[in-house]
Amino acid sequence: MATARKKTPSTARDSGATKKVAITLRLDPDRAKRLQILAETENRTLTNYVETALIRDLSLREEAARVITILAAPGTSSTIAAEDVVRGAAESDAAFARRRDLAVDLWSIPDNG
Amino acid sequence: MVPGAFVRVYFPTHEKPRKPGLIHIGYILVSSPVEAMVAYTTSQRWPTGTPLSAGVRLFTAEEAKRLNQSRPFVLRLDVLAKLPMNPQWFPEIEKEGQGVIAIAPSRLQEELTDLATNLVRRRRDLIQMRGI
Repeated sequence: MATARKKTPSTARDSGATKKVAITLRLDPDRAKRLQILAETENRTLTNYVETALIRDLSLREEAARVITILAAPGTSSTIAAEDVVRGAAESDAAFARRRDLAVDLWSIPDNG
Repeated sequence: MVPGAFVRVYFPTHEKPRKPGLIHIGYILVSSPVEAMVAYTTSQRWPTGTPLSAGVRLFTAEEAKRLNQSRPFVLRLDVLAKLPMNPQWFPEIEKEGQGVIAIAPSRLQEELTDLATNLVRRRRDLIQMRGI
């Protein structure tokens, strides 16, 4: 079983403006060996490999947490008929079809707030 | 009010989605004769070093000028408001010009429609509808 423990951030490598905090990572020997092999195949140090994997995981979490918000005023409808979608001035048939599909998509989203 | 217009609007806030907020310039993404789906814009700069969120389109000073706006701005297709077309939300709708600042050129309208379509289809599970 893998465990990680954060050290008191006393050990910091000062690389100009960015200070990195050292942490101790405890891993099963088998996992450590597998990670070492993966790191070597990417020509990285084990530390850099683990750091990159953690940064990637953080980015994915942040991306997943981003929410699209539609604020709906009272009295607005929950559906729109395709024929009610207003066409832009001088809009091509293809562009209008895409706008109309988008309108129907947007209006079909249920209230969950 | 035609789709593709940048228009003055009392854009609601996350905290009070049912009430008109401060006046902003919004972009009419799609509309019916009685309602519009409006995208939020702000002249607050996107934080340096922060990756752009999906659905965010930055407009340079030059692009802003072509759209009759004096400063660079950020258009947020991930922050939309569904609003009735009335003076409570669009303060100049009954005046000449209806509060329209500019109409986006066709190519820009198509870009924004495609961007919003991709966003809605890819991230549908992350869309929150608030306020009805």
